[in-house]
Amino acid sequence: MNPLIFTTILMTVLLGTMIVMMSSHWLMIWIGFEMNLLAIIPILMKKYNPRTMEASTKYFLTQATASMLLMMAIIINLMHSGQWTITKVFNPTASIIMTSALAMKLGLTPFHFWVPEVTQGISLTSGLILLTWQKLAPMSILYQISPSINLNILLTMAVLSILVGGWGGLNQTQLRKIMAYSSIAHMGWMTAVLVYSPTLTMLNMLIYIMMTLTMFMLFIQSSSTTTLSLSHTWNKTPLTTTLILITLLSMGGLPPLSGFMPKWMIIQELTKNSSIILPTLMAIMALLNLYFYMRLTYSTSLTMFPSTNNMKMKWQFETKQITLLPPLIVMSSLLLPLTPMLSILD
Amino acid sequence: MMTYIVFILSVIFVVSFVGFSSKPSPIYGGLVLIVSGGVGCGIIMNFGGSFLGLMVFLIYLGGMLVVFGYTTAMATEQYPEVWVSNTTVMGVFLLGLLMEVMLVLYVLKSEEVGVVFEFSGVGDWAIYDTGDSGVFSEEIMGVAALYSYGAWVVIVTGWSLFVGVLVILEVTRGD
Repeated sequence: MNPLIFTTILMTVLLGTMIVMMSSHWLMIWIGFEMNLLAIIPILMKKYNPRTMEASTKYFLTQATASMLLMMAIIINLMHSGQWTITKVFNPTASIIMTSALAMKLGLTPFHFWVPEVTQGISLTSGLILLTWQKLAPMSILYQISPSINLNILLTMAVLSILVGGWGGLNQTQLRKIMAYSSIAHMGWMTAVLVYSPTLTMLNMLIYIMMTLTMFMLFIQSSSTTTLSLSHTWNKTPLTTTLILITLLSMGGLPPLSGFMPKWMIIQELTKNSSIILPTLMAIMALLNLYFYMRLTYSTSLTMFPSTNNMKMKWQFETKQITLLPPLIVMSSLLLPLTPMLSILD
Repeated sequence: MMTYIVFILSVIFVVSFVGFSSKPSPIYGGLVLIVSGGVGCGIIMNFGGSFLGLMVFLIYLGGMLVVFGYTTAMATEQYPEVWVSNTTVMGVFLLGLLMEVMLVLYVLKSEEVGVVFEFSGVGDWAIYDTGDSGVFSEEIMGVAALYSYGAWVVIVTGWSLFVGVLVILEVTRGD
C-alpha cells in the first residue's frame, strides 16, 4: 500500500478510537466507532488473498451489526431521558441492548464466533492491532456506562467467555487462533469485575494489552504462525525461547509474573463483594487457558522436537529489529511487585 | 387521513425497507430506496423540516443514489433477481410484510402500545404543533447550529467521508 495512504488510514483508526474515548455526545461516539471500523478494513486486507477478504468481510458485518444495535440503544435512551450526554443509561432496555452491542464489538460469548476466524485470516501485525487497539474503544464505553449495566447479563457473558476462551483454545495449533481464544477469555475476566470495580477492568486491560503485544511481537520476530514453526525458535534465536516461556506463563496468570496481578485483584474484589462461587469457577476455568499456554512452552522452550540433521546448523539468520520488544517483555513479566501502587488509583 | 399521514408514511417506509432487505438484485434495491427516500422526506417535512427534506431529495436521492445506480448498472448480472424470481427472497419479503401488517393492526386496535416505548394508539403519531418557538423555525436553527457550535461534528463527518473514499479505493484496488 502507498505509505502515505497507509499512514492516513492508520491515523484514522487512532482518531476513531480517540473520538470514542473523548466524546460526551452519544452520536459522536457512534461516529467514532464507524470511523474506526471503516479505516481498519484496508489494514486487515493488507495482503490481497481470499482469506483476508473473507476475514475482513466477517469483521465488517459483525461490527456493523453491533454499531446498529448501539445506535438503537442510543435512540431508546434519547426517547426516555431526552438528552444525548453519556452518563449512566437509565432505561433498562437501552442498557441491555447497549451491553449486547458492546459485547459483540469486544468478542464476548455468545458473540465470540468471529474472533478466531477473523484473527486467523489476517496477517500477524493486523491481528495484533485487532486484538489490542480495537478493544480499547468498546471497553471505554463499558467503563462509562458501568453503573447501569445489568449484572446478570454481564456476569453470564463474562463467565461463558472465560469458559469458551479456555475450552476453544485447547484444540488449536495455529498461533493466531490461540491468541484469539486467549483474548476472549481475558475479555471475560475484564467484564466480570466491571460492575464491582471498573478500575480493575482498566488494570486488566492494560496488562492484557502489554502481554498480547509481547506475544505477537515474539511471533512476528520468528515469523511463526503455527506451533510447529514456533518450536523451531531454538534454532533461530535461542534467547526468545526463554522469553516466550516467561510471557506465556505470565499470560496464564502464574504468581511471580505480572499476569497474576489482575487475576489476583479481580478475585479479591469479587470475594469482597460476597460472591465466592463465581471467582472460584473463573479461577478454575483459567486453568484451561494455562494448559494450552503450557503446551506452547513445552514445544518451544522445554523440548526439542526430533528433526533432521541439516536443520541443526542454521547459518543464515534473518533479524528483525523490534525496538519495543525488550521493554514490553520486562513489563509483562516483572510488574507484580508494583501492586501496592494500585492504591493511587482510588 | 391527513391527521395520520405520518403513520401512513412510516408504514410505507418500513415496507420499502423490507423490500430491499429481502435482497433482490441491487437495481431493485435501489428502486425501493428511492421510494423510501421520498417517503422519508415526507415524514421529515411533516415535522416542519422542509430544508432537510429538500436535502434528502437533492443529496441523497439525486447524488448518492444516482451514483449507486450507475455503478450497479455497470456491475449488474444478466438475470437480476426480482422479488418473485427466488423463493427465498419472496419468502423473506412476505414475512416482513406480515410482521408489519400485524404491528399496524396492533397499533390500530389497541389503545395503548407498550412494546419498548409506549405511545397511546394512532393518535400519538399525529402532529399538533411543529415545535416552533414562534419566531423562527427550529429546524433551520439546527442547521445553523451545526456550522457554528457543531464545527467539530462537521470536521469529523467530513474526515470520515474522505477516509471512506480512500478506503473504498484501497479495497477495490487489488494487487
